[in-house]
Amino acid sequence: MANQTPLSPRRRTYARFSLSARLQHLLMLLSFTTLAITGLAQKFALNPVSLTIIEIWGGVDNLRWTHHAAATVLMLVAIYHVLEVSYKIYVLHLPMTMLPSLQDLWDAWAAFSYNIGLSKSRPQMGRYTFEEKAEYWALVWGILIMGATGFMMWNPITTVKFLPGYFIPAAKAAHGAEAVLAVLAIIVWHMYGVHIKRFNQAMWTGKLTEAEMRHEHPLELADLKAGAGRTGETPALRRRKRIYYPAAVLASAVMLFAVFEFVHGEQTALVTIPPEMAANLIYVPETPTPLPPTSTATLAAIPTPTSLTWAGASTLFQARCATCHSAATASGGLDLSSYAGAMKGATDGAVITPGNSASSKLVQVQSSGQHFATFSADELAFIKKWIDEGAPEK
Amino acid sequence: MKRISRHLRLGFLISGVTMILVGAAIFTSGTEAEKLTQPAFQSSVQDKPTNDYCLSCHSQRGLNKPLPDGETLSLYIDPTLFKQSVHSQENLACVDCHTNISTYPHPTYQPNTIRDITLQLYTSCKNCHAPEYGKTLDSVHQQALSVGNFNAAVCTDCHNPHQQTRMTDPKTGQLLPSVRLSIPQTCARCHSVIYDQYKGSVHGEALTQNNPDVPTCIDCHGVHNIQSPVSVRFHNDTPELCAKCHSNPDIMNKYGISTQVLNTYVSDFHGTTVTIFEQISPDTPTNKPVCTDCHGVHDIGWVNDPATGIAIKQNLLPKCQRCHPSVTSANFTEAWMDHYIASPTQYPLVFYVNLFYALLIPAVIGGMLVFVIADFVRRAIGDRKGTKS
Repeated sequence: MANQTPLSPRRRTYARFSLSARLQHLLMLLSFTTLAITGLAQKFALNPVSLTIIEIWGGVDNLRWTHHAAATVLMLVAIYHVLEVSYKIYVLHLPMTMLPSLQDLWDAWAAFSYNIGLSKSRPQMGRYTFEEKAEYWALVWGILIMGATGFMMWNPITTVKFLPGYFIPAAKAAHGAEAVLAVLAIIVWHMYGVHIKRFNQAMWTGKLTEAEMRHEHPLELADLKAGAGRTGETPALRRRKRIYYPAAVLASAVMLFAVFEFVHGEQTALVTIPPEMAANLIYVPETPTPLPPTSTATLAAIPTPTSLTWAGASTLFQARCATCHSAATASGGLDLSSYAGAMKGATDGAVITPGNSASSKLVQVQSSGQHFATFSADELAFIKKWIDEGAPEK
Repeated sequence: MKRISRHLRLGFLISGVTMILVGAAIFTSGTEAEKLTQPAFQSSVQDKPTNDYCLSCHSQRGLNKPLPDGETLSLYIDPTLFKQSVHSQENLACVDCHTNISTYPHPTYQPNTIRDITLQLYTSCKNCHAPEYGKTLDSVHQQALSVGNFNAAVCTDCHNPHQQTRMTDPKTGQLLPSVRLSIPQTCARCHSVIYDQYKGSVHGEALTQNNPDVPTCIDCHGVHNIQSPVSVRFHNDTPELCAKCHSNPDIMNKYGISTQVLNTYVSDFHGTTVTIFEQISPDTPTNKPVCTDCHGVHDIGWVNDPATGIAIKQNLLPKCQRCHPSVTSANFTEAWMDHYIASPTQYPLVFYVNLFYALLIPAVIGGMLVFVIADFVRRAIGDRKGTKS
């Protein structure tokens, strides 16, 4: 583990994070950031910044797709991590250095006391400091909460088979609030701890120098120098491996299937059927048609006269024509209020040819339908008959 | 040939009359003092037949003209209703609208159907009502008309020019209450099925009891420039439309209706999505529901109605199933918070989750800050002293 050639403490390095751990960190960094951006944009959706983000993403549907994709990546990283940790614990029998203990509480208090000047020395810590443990377990808690509440929102129909419906809005509330907590914790705790306090590159290079080890992980350094943690390939180790690998394959198959169901199991909450348009009959006029509203008037009935004389004809002329063709109005010069006027005709000539209704202009005009005031068929028949009889006055 | 010559004659006549009118307008334009005393809509034609002259024939019942397609055109004008009309009261002359007619006999005119006549004559409304006419050009009715649906409403279908009484208060410009109450009946002439739905709705029922607080057709659909209510944009804008009244405490407090319906909708998953669409891309369809998808459109009912009210789970379930067909349990409806704001009595789990995080977040982040700041200050002091801490 340590370099064998004697080097200065500033140049001698110790392996801290394996390639696997660094890759997990990278994937988690990418998926967490993606989830935070796409998630907070949804939580505070109507904030102008969020709307800009959503617009850049090409709409909220794309944004949600990205959020789900990043969540899937994070779940896969988590599964891999569980497999790796169980390998280290069960097969390699490595000490569970990440487990929190009462010592961590004491270390935290000691560090704080030192920082505010109550004590003269900093606490001496091992492979993982209380700061690192706090962050690790906060992440475990966060993934469990986000996974569970995310499942409920992603699969609401499945969820309500086991839980009351109000768990869905509660899950949404928890998911959003937990996200705020996680992002703030990363900004305050993680930013400060590994970027501001001292730019810690171990997650990228995988190494710490002996000076850094002495400063931050003195107990681990002491253990390493004492030669702890070195084990060879023993029969017991080989036996444990033979048990571990099949179990790991089975467990990962189960977990991958669970993730597949999580992601794919329920689609109707996402890809829903577009609301159908109500099959309304748009144009259904009222009956009887009220348009135009004035068209209900009909010819007022008057008795058709019987006497084929002016006395008979004039009752029709009086009723149907007098408004315009009276002595006073005489529209077009035609006055139908007297026998003399009727026989004289209009300014452009006679309208009645006695004995020949067909050549009488009055009958021609009335038959054409062009004159707006018209006799009924019976009335016109009477007038024709009267003219054909010679249009007698008496 | 006969038809063409008739059209030509009509054309000549219209242009002739127009020239006379223009000439008369120029001739009379000098008399400023006289003009000032005239009503706003007074035509500039001075030498024109009086309305009584026209009514001497047209007030006769039975004044009919048979049309080639078999319809009978009534030429009867009810003199009583006409005298009550706003056009008569504003001293408009018949010939102000019927501009091709100046005396009897009238110019030859042979429409085929009653609808032909309406479609030829209604454009004269724009001479006085240009803003309203301009708006109708953007309306669904005009769009339908332009693609050959001659049933589509034009000005005179809603406003019978011979009978239309004054609609607005001349001082305020607001619709008169009586007019407002009659709006749905006007639309019903063509949209009778929709009217029947509206009549039975909470809004329609209240309107028939002369309640001025409820919307009529035009409050949602607009007037004159009526837009398609089945467009994506209309769908996405619906929550804002309903909220115009439903967020107004002056109206809602009278009926004990919450004014939080928009807020609670927007903060829910469906409402957030629709609002994002409405803000970013109002013309992009979303499958998330708006108010009308659950509450109904014209047949909006009381939410507490035992038979149909969607405050009752069993009635809400079919609404959910329209978009989520695999839902079988009414349990699912509780995922929607019924426009409630979480409280210890309504949706307590949501309330306590929020409360938990309202305490947890400041406690955790606050603790971290205290620790981080102490560490930062200690290091700053150590650096200044030049000691390596």
